[in-house]
Amino acid sequence: MKKQKTDSENRNIAGICLSLFEDKTKKEAYLPVSEKELTDLFHQLDKKEIGLISLFGAENFNGAPGLTLFYVLEKKDSPNIVLLEHKLASGEIASLVSRFPAAGWFEREVQDGFGITFLNAFDTRRLFLHEVYPDGFHPMLKSFRNTGCFSGRESGKLPGAPYKFKRFEGEGVYEIPVGPVHAGIIEPGHFRFSVIGETVLGLEIRMFYKHRGIEKLAEGKSPADCVAVAEAISGDESMSNAAAFCMAVERISALAVPNRAWQLRTIMLELERIYSHLGDLAGMMVDVAYPVGAVNFFNLREEILRHNKNFSGSRFLKGILCPGGLKKDVPAPALTALAAYLPEFTRRFQKAVDLVYHSPSAIDRMETTGIINEKLIRPLNITGPAARASGAIIDTRVDHPYGLYPSLNIHIVTGAKGDVLSRFNVKAEEIRNSAAMIQAILPEIKDGPVRTDAVIKDGYALTMVEAARGQSVHWVYIKDGVISRYKVRTASFCNWQAIEHAVIGNIVPDFPLINKSLNLSYAGTDL
Amino acid sequence: MINPFPNLLCFKADKVIVSRDTDFASVGLALKKEVRAIFGRNLTIREVDSGSDNAAEIELNNLATPYYDVERFGISFVASPRHADVMVITGAVTLNMESAVLKTYEAMPSPKFVVAVGDDACDGGIFKDTYAVRGGADKILPVDLKIPGNPPSPYEILQGLLFLMKEIRRINH
Repeated sequence: MKKQKTDSENRNIAGICLSLFEDKTKKEAYLPVSEKELTDLFHQLDKKEIGLISLFGAENFNGAPGLTLFYVLEKKDSPNIVLLEHKLASGEIASLVSRFPAAGWFEREVQDGFGITFLNAFDTRRLFLHEVYPDGFHPMLKSFRNTGCFSGRESGKLPGAPYKFKRFEGEGVYEIPVGPVHAGIIEPGHFRFSVIGETVLGLEIRMFYKHRGIEKLAEGKSPADCVAVAEAISGDESMSNAAAFCMAVERISALAVPNRAWQLRTIMLELERIYSHLGDLAGMMVDVAYPVGAVNFFNLREEILRHNKNFSGSRFLKGILCPGGLKKDVPAPALTALAAYLPEFTRRFQKAVDLVYHSPSAIDRMETTGIINEKLIRPLNITGPAARASGAIIDTRVDHPYGLYPSLNIHIVTGAKGDVLSRFNVKAEEIRNSAAMIQAILPEIKDGPVRTDAVIKDGYALTMVEAARGQSVHWVYIKDGVISRYKVRTASFCNWQAIEHAVIGNIVPDFPLINKSLNLSYAGTDL
Repeated sequence: MINPFPNLLCFKADKVIVSRDTDFASVGLALKKEVRAIFGRNLTIREVDSGSDNAAEIELNNLATPYYDVERFGISFVASPRHADVMVITGAVTLNMESAVLKTYEAMPSPKFVVAVGDDACDGGIFKDTYAVRGGADKILPVDLKIPGNPPSPYEILQGLLFLMKEIRRINH
């Protein structure tokens, strides 16, 4: 019935979509579309202007039985987000991957979770469900009850079809399989290099070894309990993800967060960016075999982690956020200690960076290594320092401002070359900017409450934050006071695909450096 | 070009260097004694992440950074399970990682010990009842020690290792 109606209207869907991006009153617009309109729309939209930043499904959305797909669109220079809402009539829909390459992983994720077939997709292999899961297993369906793990392995052989890696063939081409267990203390993932001599011809990354079922785990939890789930998405991004989740709940329930809470939140969000970037800079120095350079960054990171502990009770800023503000106030000595420390931090940090810039051997390894072409940014939806180092002027704090950020002066740091050195420069500059931002906020903090008591209402909202690695998108749907669907798309999920392109033509020993310069979260991708 | 003069003119390191963290150092020195008694020289650790949220990895990495520098106590993280005495496992065991974890354990020479680091590795934590997780590390491996925490600090991890060494000595006597 509904499909007939929308078809007969024969409306100018692209025009409606573009007008929603210009609408000053609504930051987040939902546009129901038919399948035909969806296809038309994606052929009419300017690929350079509009990007697909997420795609997800939700069952029984607003009482409608069956699956509804949401295509989340972002437009350059528009603070608005448009969600195309498509109610699936059957278990099939046309794939968008030829139009938006980023849709590849999004669609495979929906395919695994809900058992939807995407027609004409290039790649229909399973994504987060590895061979241990049987065929026809779709955990995101509401009919699937999340009651402990089933015994996939005990039958002796793996129930799912074996995963076929892409093959690169030709004279002298050989494969190097790496992982999931690596040589260092890092997270698991599998890298399949196809190599000629020392030069990488192709790389395929297989992730999702750490798939813990986070989205399903959230379902049925109360919003207050779900904060811990958001924090567990990625340990070194716990503040950003928890903040995005809380913001979504706050928007749904129309909660006003006290100013003091937002000031403290912003400080912690920036502290997280600082310690995360410091770890990246140190890691890059380790990987170019310049430990003297790494030592300074490691020391500074440890000191920031100790300030985190004073601030929140956790070195990783866990367990302090709640919908409505903060669970507890930050002790006054922590604030004064941080204010006293930051000038010294900035001075020592500058010295540490200068040391690196005066080391030709370190610079030589980073320059022209692992270039991310600017042309890849929109199609693959690359965000964060990885995109900025290739010249993209994007930052969620500026493009879709939230919390205290509209009142802060944020300078978007960009690089031009997109190589490892550009990423080093961008991250170093962002650390300085974040420290300055915290120093600007600290004297402004006034006494006051840090929490509005939350009265949870039903509804749904999409929020975005700029985590250290880039844009993190969260969609929360609350029904009957509990989470009915929680969709997370971290920056890492999209940025991983950039590495496959960045390593081509580089030598295998440079791969760890390229990987570290992006320092993506495996946990945040695998969920 | 390396300029040799700063090296000639700098003060010799004849001063007593004050450790920044005396508690940590005392635990470390006690651990060094135990390690020497049990393993002869040093204790080698292979870290395996079976599904953590990566905070535990950062703390384990921190143990090797200058603030903590556990190599001075004879503790080292090794690249291959074949060189390892202890497997440190972080995170709840996911179904997707299960066989890789078992293969890593099987590749270690005996005698070998397993230490679960973090709440999720100890008993599955918040992931206990999800479809994708087998549970804590003890569901698939003989775990000798559990170090709880979200994540445990470097100090707590070191204390845990000291406790493990003492237990090994106690059982062997």
